[in-house]
Amino acid sequence: MLYVVLGLWIFSALMILFEKKNVRVTLYLGIFGLLASIAFFLLGSPDVAMAEAAISTFTTIFFIVCLEKYYKFEGDFIEVEDTQAEKKPKSTFVIRYILPLLFTIFAAGLFIYFIPDNVVNPYLKELYLTRFMDEVGGYNPVTAIYLRYRVYDTLFEALMLVLAVVAVIHMSKFGEATIKDGLRSELETSNMSVFTIRLITPILLVFGIFLILNGHISAGGGFQGGLVIATFFIARYMIFNIYDLKVSRIAKIEEAVFIAIALLASVVVFLEFADFTHRPGYREIYLIIMNALIGAKVACGFMLLFYRFVAIERGARDES
Amino acid sequence: MRVELAELFAVIMFFISFYGLIVTRNIIKSVIFIIIMEAAAIMFFLSIGYRSGILAPIGPNLAEVESWAYIADPFPQALMITAIVIGLSVTTILLIMTITITREYKTTDWDTIKIRSLEK
Repeated sequence: MLYVVLGLWIFSALMILFEKKNVRVTLYLGIFGLLASIAFFLLGSPDVAMAEAAISTFTTIFFIVCLEKYYKFEGDFIEVEDTQAEKKPKSTFVIRYILPLLFTIFAAGLFIYFIPDNVVNPYLKELYLTRFMDEVGGYNPVTAIYLRYRVYDTLFEALMLVLAVVAVIHMSKFGEATIKDGLRSELETSNMSVFTIRLITPILLVFGIFLILNGHISAGGGFQGGLVIATFFIARYMIFNIYDLKVSRIAKIEEAVFIAIALLASVVVFLEFADFTHRPGYREIYLIIMNALIGAKVACGFMLLFYRFVAIERGARDES
Repeated sequence: MRVELAELFAVIMFFISFYGLIVTRNIIKSVIFIIIMEAAAIMFFLSIGYRSGILAPIGPNLAEVESWAYIADPFPQALMITAIVIGLSVTTILLIMTITITREYKTTDWDTIKIRSLEK
């Protein structure tokens, strides 16, 4: 089963490699993400599978918004055809396609030949799996690792998200003033899909909150729940066309939540705050609050990124 | 040299996207190959130590398991979740840069961009 999924995965990547039209490439990317998610699940990691499913949805939506704008803006220039390659002599073809292929095969062969045998320390896995219930609590060692043992990584991941938002806001260069209210999203929609998504959107919000609150005892957690909640707001924009959230306000919330995450992690984990985290009844509270904060952080961050993309789309339409 | 089949798939995928990054002339496809490269790296880390019939490391009765070999390693999973979220933020930055370039030069072809930037 796993190898069938992996084979299809490779096949979807080859389809992307040989496809020339941008829209089809984007759709194949969605299929690629779905197959990767199924393969992660079969490899025994439902947490990563959930995150990958949500992420591939996001990536496809971002690409579609990006491409949709250009079809409106410039017509069909975005289709890259190989018209120039026909005029060039055959030696260019060899330099362009055959030599990189040989080089890639050589590099892959070297990598596979020198791959080390036991990369992972098995004692570390045993240590985490035997001790996490006593030291951290909950039934999910993945949550225990990223909220307790390796909380540095989570902090710097949150910092990376803040940096990405700052970079996107800086590079998109459109103020909020260019966005006019009352413009409908012109994405092609059918009544059927609108009806379905209207039914699904409330369930999405409930499901996201469920994932966050149960992150420490089952698969799920702050990242996945936050992504699902951000998907709820995107669906809200796409279908109901509600664009009432202010970008600056979301940015302030995100920064405040980031500071709260840093403070809570440093007080509880680095300073070993009394024996609060060792008491069975109370230590789950730390996990739940931390998951909720990370969920809020991720949801705010990706809502901001999506709204910047929409702002570019709308701003370009206003210009043209 | 002992390679799991699942690891081999991940390595092949990594080098497919490597070849694609060298060969492609389309900016959108370059961004997509970077995404594929990330997914292949994540797949490689998760498939280390895979054996058939492996179980997810979640549940209240983990302490009573006799052999840890059939429980997946939670440590790379925790790191890969953060890697996935960072990957999406990298993707958005790349897309914004793509939008800026295509607004400037009105094309997504690397060669045409080079020609037009020399003309200016």
